[in-house]
Amino acid sequence: MPATYGLIDGNSFYCSAERAFAPGLRRVPLIVLSNNDGCAIARSAEAKALGVRMGDPWHLIRHRPGMDSVHWQSSNYPLYADMSRRFYQVVAGMVPRVEPYSIDEFFLDLDLPGDLHALCTALRAEVLRVAKIPTCLGWGPTKTIAKLANHLAKRHPELGGLCDLRSPELRAAWYARLSVGEVWGIGGRTAEKLRRLGVGTIADFVALDARDARDLLTVVGARVQLELRGVSCLPLAMMAAPRQGAAVTRSFGRPVTRWAEMREAVAAFAHRAAEKLRAEGLVAGHLTVFLHTNPHNGDPWHSGQRAARIEPTADSGALIGEALRLLRSLWQPGYRYAKAGVMLNDLRPEAGQPRMLFPTRDPVRSARVMAAMDAVNARHSAGTLRPLATGLARPWAARAARLSPRYTTRLEEILVARAW
Amino acid sequence: MASNSGKGGADYDGGRTTGFASPAGDAIEGPIDLGEVLDLRRPHRYPVRVLGDALRERGIHPGDILIADAAAPPADGRVCIAMVHGDVWVCQIAYKRGQWWLRPASGAREPLPVVAEDDIEVWAVVAALVRTEV
Ligand SMILES: [Mg+2]
Repeated sequence: MPATYGLIDGNSFYCSAERAFAPGLRRVPLIVLSNNDGCAIARSAEAKALGVRMGDPWHLIRHRPGMDSVHWQSSNYPLYADMSRRFYQVVAGMVPRVEPYSIDEFFLDLDLPGDLHALCTALRAEVLRVAKIPTCLGWGPTKTIAKLANHLAKRHPELGGLCDLRSPELRAAWYARLSVGEVWGIGGRTAEKLRRLGVGTIADFVALDARDARDLLTVVGARVQLELRGVSCLPLAMMAAPRQGAAVTRSFGRPVTRWAEMREAVAAFAHRAAEKLRAEGLVAGHLTVFLHTNPHNGDPWHSGQRAARIEPTADSGALIGEALRLLRSLWQPGYRYAKAGVMLNDLRPEAGQPRMLFPTRDPVRSARVMAAMDAVNARHSAGTLRPLATGLARPWAARAARLSPRYTTRLEEILVARAW
Repeated sequence: MASNSGKGGADYDGGRTTGFASPAGDAIEGPIDLGEVLDLRRPHRYPVRVLGDALRERGIHPGDILIADAAAPPADGRVCIAMVHGDVWVCQIAYKRGQWWLRPASGAREPLPVVAEDDIEVWAVVAALVRTEV
């Protein structure tokens, strides 16, 4: 196991990705809203200073004093994914072993010769220059300590974006000042439980008897404690674990009241979930469909969910058929539905599936049709070819009123520069 | 049964034939990949569309696609993408009197010193150009 782990994290990543191509947004308080232009999911430093919190619903806070200076954008996931790819490539070009932990966080094996401080400074500068993303970087003897160091680098600008927690003395000084709730893996409820037992700071938690820690917080808590003591328990995972399930769930842009629209939406979700399976060479043996209203709108609560075992497949047509069969049994007219979804489970590799004695589909033909559709969508753009059942106009699609261009993935939308 | 229909012929590459074995079967190279030539999969390469014809004398026309390289160091006389007071420009860059300047194509304008505090930044250096209509 490496002796030093690092964590590099994009600052306000979605906002930074927007600002990379829109210099006019660099000086204004900026937030990015969730699907359907709902809640703040990324906030620039200026927006945080104005009091916008993570998850704040924009329609509720927009009238507060000071909010008229805040600029919002719809979330542009194709752009964020491509900027994450660039960020990762820059990091992987300078550090041999990198774990992509989230869209904007990479764990690093920093067991490298030379001056670590100089390397980390250069890494941040290169990510900013090439991938246009400002970052913070923290490091220490375990992943949990690296995560904490990163958090400190982010919260204390005077650290210059870097925080080295390799020294036990330095760690002890921070541990005494920080609440145990700041630790990766210790949630709000756990922190509250610990606080009631007189365990308020990280130092208090680290000082707990290991058996008490295990009794209170199970093996997970015991592992967090060991990691905070500098004993590494979590190795670097260079690749994501195999997918357990594929879910596509969406809030609608406006309430769906008609069967035809609901049918289209659920067909589209099933098709998208099937695409996820095929991208990884998997098939699903279990399918769930759900829908519900939104009582926060004043609508009566109504929800339904049905699941079924299915003949293992990744065929869009077959999965749409199964999903619509379940949906039909769930559908109750007269409600204003706000959300629906399709979940695929019992995933397994497509290769090595036992031959069914009486298959209801021709698996070879299905695989060929799906491969051809996926190839067209990869060469052109996602959604170029799709089953007609998924709808053409898609009036139920999520609202995204202020979507920035897909600057790096669509030729029609690339950055425009005026010749001077 | 393998079939070449319905995919615009995309699955025949000059190699696998049904009657006479292709003499070129071991020599398939595939079409030229311009994404590869232009290095578009690298993290520092960004496509940029040109607006306006101020750089026509430099051979850069409106509608051209520039491949900007964010890792290339600026050099005197190169064309660059610059972020200037909230706008995105493509212009020439010059090194004079110990600092970098954005040099206007027209003599009617004054060069601008590249100073971050004045909200002027060189974002990337133009490395290649694609013109899809000639
Ligand atoms: Mg982040």
